[in-house]
Amino acid sequence: MLLLIQYTLIFSSVLILVALGGCISEHSGVINLGLEGIMVIGALGGALVMRYCNTSSAFVMVMLSILAAMLFGSVYSSLLGVACINFKADQTLVGTALNLLGTAAATVFVKALNTAANPDDHSSEIEYVRARKMFIVNIHGFEFNWFMLIAVIAVIVVAVMLYRTKFGLRLMACGEHPQAADSVGINVYKMRWAGVLLSGALGGLGGICYILAGVSIWKFENGVAGFGFLALAVMIFGQWKPARIALAALLFGLFRALSNTYIGFPALAALNLPSNVYNMMPYIVSLIVLALTSKNSRAPKAEGIPYDKGSR
Amino acid sequence: MEQYAIEMLHITKKFPGIIANDDITLQLKKGEIHALLGENGAGKSTLMSVLFGLYQPEEGTIKKDGVEVRINNPNDANDLGIGMVHQHFKLVECFTVLDNIILGVEPNKLGFLQKQEAREKVLALSEKYGLRVDPDAKIEDITVGMQQRTEILKMLYRDNEILIFDEPTAVLTPQEISELMLIMKNLAAEGKSILFISHKLNEIMEVADRCTVLRKGKYIGTVNTKDTTPESLSAMMVGRNVNFHVQKTPATPGEVVLSIENMTVASKVHKNNAVKNVSLKVRAGEIVCLAGIDGNGQSEFVYGLSGLEPLVSGKITLCGKDITKASIRERSVMGISHIPEDRHKHGLVLDYSLEDNLILQTYFGPEFTSSAGFLKRKSIRDYANRLIEQYDVRSGQGAITTARSMSGGNQQKAIIAREIDKAPELLIAVQPTRGLDVGAIEYIHKQLIAQRDAGKAVLLISLELDEVMDVPDRILVMYEGEIVGELDPKKTTQEELGLYMAGAKRDEVKA
Amino acid sequence: MKKALRNPGVQAFIASIICIILGLLVGYIVLLFINPEGAAESILNVIKNFFTWSKPKTQLKQFGNTLAKTMPLLMCSLSILFAYKVGLFNIGVAGQYVAGSCACLYAALAWGWSWLPCLLFAIAAGAVLGAIVGFLKSYCNVNEVISGIMLNWISLYTANTILSKVKEVASPYTMYINEVNPSALLPNAGLDTLFAKNKYVTIAVPLALLIAIAVSIVLNKTRLGYELKATGSNKNAAKYAGMRENRNIILTLVIAGGLAGLGAAMLYQTGYMRWECTQSSVPSMGFNGIAAAFLGGLSPIGAIFSSFFIQHITDGGQYVNTNFYSSQISDLISSVIIYLCGFVLFIKITMNNILDRSGEKKMQKPKAAPAGSGKDGDK
Repeated sequence: MLLLIQYTLIFSSVLILVALGGCISEHSGVINLGLEGIMVIGALGGALVMRYCNTSSAFVMVMLSILAAMLFGSVYSSLLGVACINFKADQTLVGTALNLLGTAAATVFVKALNTAANPDDHSSEIEYVRARKMFIVNIHGFEFNWFMLIAVIAVIVVAVMLYRTKFGLRLMACGEHPQAADSVGINVYKMRWAGVLLSGALGGLGGICYILAGVSIWKFENGVAGFGFLALAVMIFGQWKPARIALAALLFGLFRALSNTYIGFPALAALNLPSNVYNMMPYIVSLIVLALTSKNSRAPKAEGIPYDKGSR
Repeated sequence: MEQYAIEMLHITKKFPGIIANDDITLQLKKGEIHALLGENGAGKSTLMSVLFGLYQPEEGTIKKDGVEVRINNPNDANDLGIGMVHQHFKLVECFTVLDNIILGVEPNKLGFLQKQEAREKVLALSEKYGLRVDPDAKIEDITVGMQQRTEILKMLYRDNEILIFDEPTAVLTPQEISELMLIMKNLAAEGKSILFISHKLNEIMEVADRCTVLRKGKYIGTVNTKDTTPESLSAMMVGRNVNFHVQKTPATPGEVVLSIENMTVASKVHKNNAVKNVSLKVRAGEIVCLAGIDGNGQSEFVYGLSGLEPLVSGKITLCGKDITKASIRERSVMGISHIPEDRHKHGLVLDYSLEDNLILQTYFGPEFTSSAGFLKRKSIRDYANRLIEQYDVRSGQGAITTARSMSGGNQQKAIIAREIDKAPELLIAVQPTRGLDVGAIEYIHKQLIAQRDAGKAVLLISLELDEVMDVPDRILVMYEGEIVGELDPKKTTQEELGLYMAGAKRDEVKA
Repeated sequence: MKKALRNPGVQAFIASIICIILGLLVGYIVLLFINPEGAAESILNVIKNFFTWSKPKTQLKQFGNTLAKTMPLLMCSLSILFAYKVGLFNIGVAGQYVAGSCACLYAALAWGWSWLPCLLFAIAAGAVLGAIVGFLKSYCNVNEVISGIMLNWISLYTANTILSKVKEVASPYTMYINEVNPSALLPNAGLDTLFAKNKYVTIAVPLALLIAIAVSIVLNKTRLGYELKATGSNKNAAKYAGMRENRNIILTLVIAGGLAGLGAAMLYQTGYMRWECTQSSVPSMGFNGIAAAFLGGLSPIGAIFSSFFIQHITDGGQYVNTNFYSSQISDLISSVIIYLCGFVLFIKITMNNILDRSGEKKMQKPKAAPAGSGKDGDK
């Protein structure tokens, strides 16, 4: 049971971080379908720090890998920004390209790294056993991960930012009615860039959190198994509002955690279902939830539409 | 010498292939209401874009209080105290009134919003100028009139001295219009200078001190409204004398074509029904106009009638046949033609060519589709060319022009050609002249009357008072989803019509 | 010359070539960074693919392999572009492909069906998956990208579970069709002899090409295509004109799903590949289909060439010097190409602007002031 809670919380944290990223980007008017790829690149940034940084201070390690993940994520998301904000490309297409590119680039990179270190090593894996321990505080068998706290902080910070600050007001105006924002002197392109870069940082953070969730070695060929898209489902279910996103993430996190821990529950283990059924659960749940809730969903009005200063 | 708040001197702005502004001069005195009159495409919006720094003119200068200034972007205009109420409001629908007012000039400490002081300032302003509006209401929940007041407050909150109103009355009720006129006069009395863009002559005559007229990008002249008449203004605007009144013979109504009994249609916006228990009849050879202020259920009424939305209850009969349950396609085939309210949303596939748009209602018939399901391209081209010729639809490349690249007037002509050429029993025309210039309006009115004279039933849905008074043979007024009065256009007055439209007067109407 | 450059088809072609060149350039630069020594040779091998072999016969045989794998890719890209014309981004193509694979393999291995029923079953499986996405889109307003992705994973795990029943005991792979049920293999119809007895070259090749042409005809010449494209371009106008939007969305995704399912059958029923029942990621065929569709300028005929090209460099990936590099370099190149395809619209606009400007210069001499031929000034 403790294990289930632990996994639920950590997977929820991933979903919260990434969904908040998607939420900020969409509030600025850009649909970020590339979160999946951004997660991979963010995870790569974090993993590199964890693997090659030899600090013995847990604090320094945690901070450095978080920063690296955020930096990698936002730099990578700038590919989305250039194409979709400045060149008005199809946001779905570019997002998809980022997802494919993220996994391919990370794989090529890690393999090259491994092969350079050892000519016989053609794997795409990075190992970070030592660093992972620094992220975790063991409380009577419950593995507390600092990311659980970071996710809670992120929810609060994003909520305050959206609803209480000048920046948030302007950001949301750009996603709802960019012409209105422009007419009062707000630079829509700049705000959208801010939205995309922030979503990249949060996506990258979610990526590093994801690979730290249960394992100490990550194979980059695998990508992040649709987690970026689950996060988007969480965001829709959460109606683009941070607090609701947090609740939605807990629900989705629970189902994801079941696939790791169902064996620990005699009742579930006795059902003798193939493990694939549990693997499918989060996706099936999200499909059902979306089917039930999308009819009345209220996405930012101008999302997905490139802003063109000329057409007023 | 006169004190001018803003002067635009000899402005020339060219676009590839067209001179949008050709040596135009506009001088706005302090504290006056100055009208800018011109048809669509006369260059009014280009001139305003120049004033707001959205375009840079090739020639000419702008002076503020006699000093030459450069305006490179809207922020510069804002810094000079120039503000504008756009024709399509620039308001974020899911924000509150207050949030919309402060957007862009948010009072803040370290980036955190300080709404209290803003609220006080807004309340003081709305008190001073009689602009009643609840600062905490969301834009989507308030009336169009209140939204407009929000836009005005936006300018006042920024301490703008020069206020531009772009076609502000198009969306208002007659009562709201007189309120706005009063507000504008108040503002001018307080020393604000107002530029009032319009093509409605009565309003200009009522509220403006002076009027500048543009035509086809050229400056025609500036006159004092005291010294002129609507007729001469109109002649300046159009370049010839136009008939204000539509020429038509008395109607000779025949059989009932359309009969609606107790129609109720749900609303998409709120929980109540948008159309409540409406009954009416339209006969062959008459034009019936459904008048009313925007948002009183006319759109939903048309959706229910054309089959775009299902009815909650009621019965529709066309030429004696019950079509209540018929699909959109079946209704169209049975003889309903529909000129839709929004030509871009419903009327056209903008990425399709003109010819493909002309067959939008008939493409499936044997004339254009072979039995194997292939389109007969040659018949389509021939048909399109005939319509283009007959209805004088102008476009760059004829039948293969993309609809998107055509002018609004010609897009509307294409729709009208398509709908009329179907030879319908009933023609539904929803705001068919919206956003068009005088020439196109005249043309469309003639077409509607020609349909009537050919023995068709015509149902016109209109918001324009002039159109409501001039074109139809009978007027039905819709208010909050109900028909509240039937009027004879020959006997009634605009004032009486306004009272019905505003819900101040109602009769029991039995169709 | 100028006129040819104005032609949208020619422009699409040039834009695609630019994307390809830039994509390969990025790939080359990445290789240079990893190891400058073998970079040039490796990137050339990616481009050469089967030409890296010296014997013509081997070349021909390898060419056949690439061709056999091009056809399923072509089906996936047709699936994408067909849906895209109707305004839908069918990213669920990967899952529909998985469903098709699962259906044809299970029917062939467990039930012993012959090739045609297997093929039809695969189409049906893909179509059902497409129908689910279409249903969710039209009746529940679920974004087709999200539901498509969810179904990709659901179908992957379902396929893994189902196909485990027909897998070899000792390996995670499904059994060989040619051992268990040769009748389920697609007929060669003599085509194998053209490719140095490459048994993987089957009737799938001509069939796929015919389908590409058929899709092109349906989209451009028929009433159905007229309706579907109208729905994609402006669904409100389509509804106003009496077209049934929901039906059209579902129909489109059913067709798109069927195409993807057929693509799967065209690969697995040649025996070229077997399903790995432990695979943890969705096969890349569907996603490569996105690259091919956009690289082909969203034209079915263009997709034939772009599919071949994408498959060509994907296969070419195995000829890089694996001492330094990984074969995923070709995935990287094709994803860069997809990314660049986002700029195609911009490339076309730029091309037109350049043409306009050079045109204007010539015009300026005889005619100083442009006459009023603007969009709103024609009255």
